[in-house]
Amino acid sequence: MHITVNQQPQQVAEPCSLQQLVEQLALNPNGLALALNQTVIAKRAWPSTYLAPEDQVAAFQIVTGG
Amino acid sequence: MLTLDGVQLHSTLLLGTGKFASAKQLIAAVKASGTELVTLAMKRLDLQHQTDDILAPLQQLGVRLLPNTSGAKTANEAIFAAELAREALGTHWLKLEIHPDPRYLLPDPIETLQAAQELVKRGFVVLPYCPADPVLCKRLEEAGCAAVMPLGAPIGSNQGLQTLAMLEIIIEQARVPVIIDAGLGAPSHACQALELGASAVLVNTAIASAADPVAMATSFRLACQAGVHARQSGLAAACTQAQASSPLTRFLETL
Repeated sequence: MHITVNQQPQQVAEPCSLQQLVEQLALNPNGLALALNQTVIAKRAWPSTYLAPEDQVAAFQIVTGG
Repeated sequence: MLTLDGVQLHSTLLLGTGKFASAKQLIAAVKASGTELVTLAMKRLDLQHQTDDILAPLQQLGVRLLPNTSGAKTANEAIFAAELAREALGTHWLKLEIHPDPRYLLPDPIETLQAAQELVKRGFVVLPYCPADPVLCKRLEEAGCAAVMPLGAPIGSNQGLQTLAMLEIIIEQARVPVIIDAGLGAPSHACQALELGASAVLVNTAIASAADPVAMATSFRLACQAGVHARQSGLAAACTQAQASSPLTRFLETL
């Protein structure tokens, strides 16, 4: 199915959890936060949160800052 | 000694992690500064160009991590950023900062207070970067913030304690730690803030942009120790007229 991650189109298998998406994109989960359709999803809920077609995932990471 | 959320920190220097030339330099500066609490920011992940992992080395050092909400222009954006940061780092400690104006990066007092009220309700330990306004600082304290972080001068400006008179009132009135954030450009500024009775200072640009950031981190560490020590020692009072420190005996008049 087709989704977007940070506004970039992505093709993922169905079903696909947020946890599987992180693995597919080879993202480092340390310091990573995800929002699904503008709602922040707790890390512990990634494995049980399944994507639907046209979902919008936003991925954020910790960076240096003051 | 700085106590936040029941946690005692022995260092009164908080270090911002931005603007360092490399991860290696940052880590060396963190070590040299003696800090126990460093700030971090959040950004949208670039899927094409993933950046170096700075988090793991900081975690290995054992310092506490304080995510900020930099980039937020409204209370709602800051609350969203706070929820992201809590998930990203697994901490409910938060440096709340909302500065919509890119020229001076001055914190928006109204959005900051609104966000603080909501974030406290959501269980965050809120440390708000705020204007050096004694009334606002009391309001933030009443909202349940764990500390207040009034500015000395605009972020990164290195001007020192331009807000000195207001900081004195804030420190006098506060029942929560006062952390002077932003604008400190020299170790003497940090020392002065702590002599005034501030609980801690937060420094980033003055260290990261120094010719030798690691040596400057050491300088700030020593200045903070001196400031705390001076405060505890009871500073002598200032006055207008001279007060002789040598005996004024007239032993030369017979020459």
